[in-house]
Amino acid sequence: MSSSHLIGVFDDESQLVKAVEEIRGKDLPIEEVYTPYPIHEVIHAMGTKSKLQIFAYFYGLFGAVAVLAFLYWTSVISWPINYGGKPFNSFPSFIIITIVLTIFIVTIASLATFSGRAKLWPGKQHKAYDLRATDDKFVIVVSMDETGPGELGTIEGIMKAHGAVEIREEET
Amino acid sequence: MYNRAIRGSLIIGDKSYSQISADILAPTETKPGKWWFAMMTLATLASIWGVYSIYITVAKGIGTWGVNNTVGWGWAIINFVWWIGIGHAGTAFSIFLLILRQKWRTSINRAAEAMTVFAVGCAAIFPALHMGRIWLAFFIIPYPNTRGPLWVNFNSPLFWDFIAISAYLLISFSFWYLGMLPDFATIRDRTTSKIRKALYGFFSIGWVGSSRQWLRFDSLAFILGGIAAVLVVSVHSIVSTDFAVSVEPGWHTTIFPPYFVVGAIFSGFAMVMTLMIIIRKLYRLGDYVTDGHLDAIARILIFISLIMGTAYLTEIFVAWYSGSEYEMFTFFRNRITGEYALQFWGMIICNALIPQLFWFKKIRSSLLMMFVISLFINLGMWFERFNIVITSLSKDYLPSAWASYTPTWVEVGTYVGTIGIFLAGVLMFFRYIPMIAVSEVKAVRDIGTRKYD
Repeated sequence: MSSSHLIGVFDDESQLVKAVEEIRGKDLPIEEVYTPYPIHEVIHAMGTKSKLQIFAYFYGLFGAVAVLAFLYWTSVISWPINYGGKPFNSFPSFIIITIVLTIFIVTIASLATFSGRAKLWPGKQHKAYDLRATDDKFVIVVSMDETGPGELGTIEGIMKAHGAVEIREEET
Repeated sequence: MYNRAIRGSLIIGDKSYSQISADILAPTETKPGKWWFAMMTLATLASIWGVYSIYITVAKGIGTWGVNNTVGWGWAIINFVWWIGIGHAGTAFSIFLLILRQKWRTSINRAAEAMTVFAVGCAAIFPALHMGRIWLAFFIIPYPNTRGPLWVNFNSPLFWDFIAISAYLLISFSFWYLGMLPDFATIRDRTTSKIRKALYGFFSIGWVGSSRQWLRFDSLAFILGGIAAVLVVSVHSIVSTDFAVSVEPGWHTTIFPPYFVVGAIFSGFAMVMTLMIIIRKLYRLGDYVTDGHLDAIARILIFISLIMGTAYLTEIFVAWYSGSEYEMFTFFRNRITGEYALQFWGMIICNALIPQLFWFKKIRSSLLMMFVISLFINLGMWFERFNIVITSLSKDYLPSAWASYTPTWVEVGTYVGTIGIFLAGVLMFFRYIPMIAVSEVKAVRDIGTRKYD
């Protein structure tokens, strides 16, 4: 399926931020912004929120309960061993393994979630609109199929007003 | 907020973004110098000796080591604790400063994390060998087995150690790799070589730097940072419980966990300083690793050195105050005077006294002095571990069970081998991975001067 995009390239972080904020302020659609480093104003203006931290909290909760349950099961139910008359369920010393294994589980689960949500995995074919976006340019990509009549001109105007060094249309 | 007028900029020179990429990526794009090949040869030779020593250990058994019934833990455990300690600062540095939002970490965190990964890898070799029958090492994993099922002892610090180190290796590597994604993408998009494009393209796993990726990148970095901070403190505390829960004079003390954690961060920071000086000198990255960075590390080292000195004095005081003749003997007759006085005084001088030279501004600004002192600290930390492991074991309760310990060439070879492996890893890191986080340095280029603020 072919689609066409309007691509605006900026040299400067502050110009890009102003442009993105103005376009988003007028409720015009931006498909994506590509930057060499994270710019929080842009992330904020784009309006996507990450739920990764909430997920991680629940991974941790699940991990802690699962590890404690596993330790209880092995030490009390499956094969209890008497270590010098100490209780089978030696809860205080289980805490250490629980903490460390919870961290282990949170790490693996968060990495998997990150891989899925950020769409990054080994062998992934990526689509780069401008190769310089990982080096020194800040790139706004607008899908021409999603913009209404007249909107495209406004977006182009805003980009120009804020000092875009390059504006081009691309057919893919 | 960061006030540039007072604190200066984090990188020197008015650099463009592409200049930053070009400067930092240059070593990955050009052939390394002669010194690199010389060092690599050295590292390979050391590794070969190490691998041969490991082969002897596995083929013939622990009998090839100098350990005996009394001194059951020898160089292997000393080196294990030493490497884990070095591996600590990388993550401690990177993560504590990330959580505290200290922006000066950006020039140093990548190398520190690389050091962590290699050092923890080296450390893991020793306990595995110490198990004796390494081909049964998988018994330590609690899996449903046909031997009962017989579970491992979940109350044993040695098992906690195994879990802690595995988790630490996983999280350090993940954190390190996550940070490298944007930089691999930069290499991929800059290069004209087909091979490099394919290779770095594969390792950048599809990174394009979109706002949605950056959002999740930041979230994940903070999640990993937050939980790894807990891990950094707990891993070395757990290592210390290997000693502290046993009833040995000199080991059975409550000071051990904080003492070990601080000691670990101390040796790791010293190693970070060694590496940063090498990077700065040999790769001429002085614009990124500035005097300010090294000065900050030196100041931290003074502070930790004072804590170490206090810990040493506290141990000695408590040995005397306890009134236990065994504690008294271990500290006053076996460490301060006696067979292991050299290691004890080496520890005091290298860890508590020499780093105090950093109070002088002149020494804090001399690369050579900093380099030498950072090596002394790592030597001192090795002495400290020798002190702890050997002196307590060699002469504890029954004089009839006393014994001395000298390492054999197999143990020395294994140690030298791990140094070789570490060195080879670091050299490969210099050659193939951007040793400073390019994207993070770009983000702090204009710190304190943001025009639209």
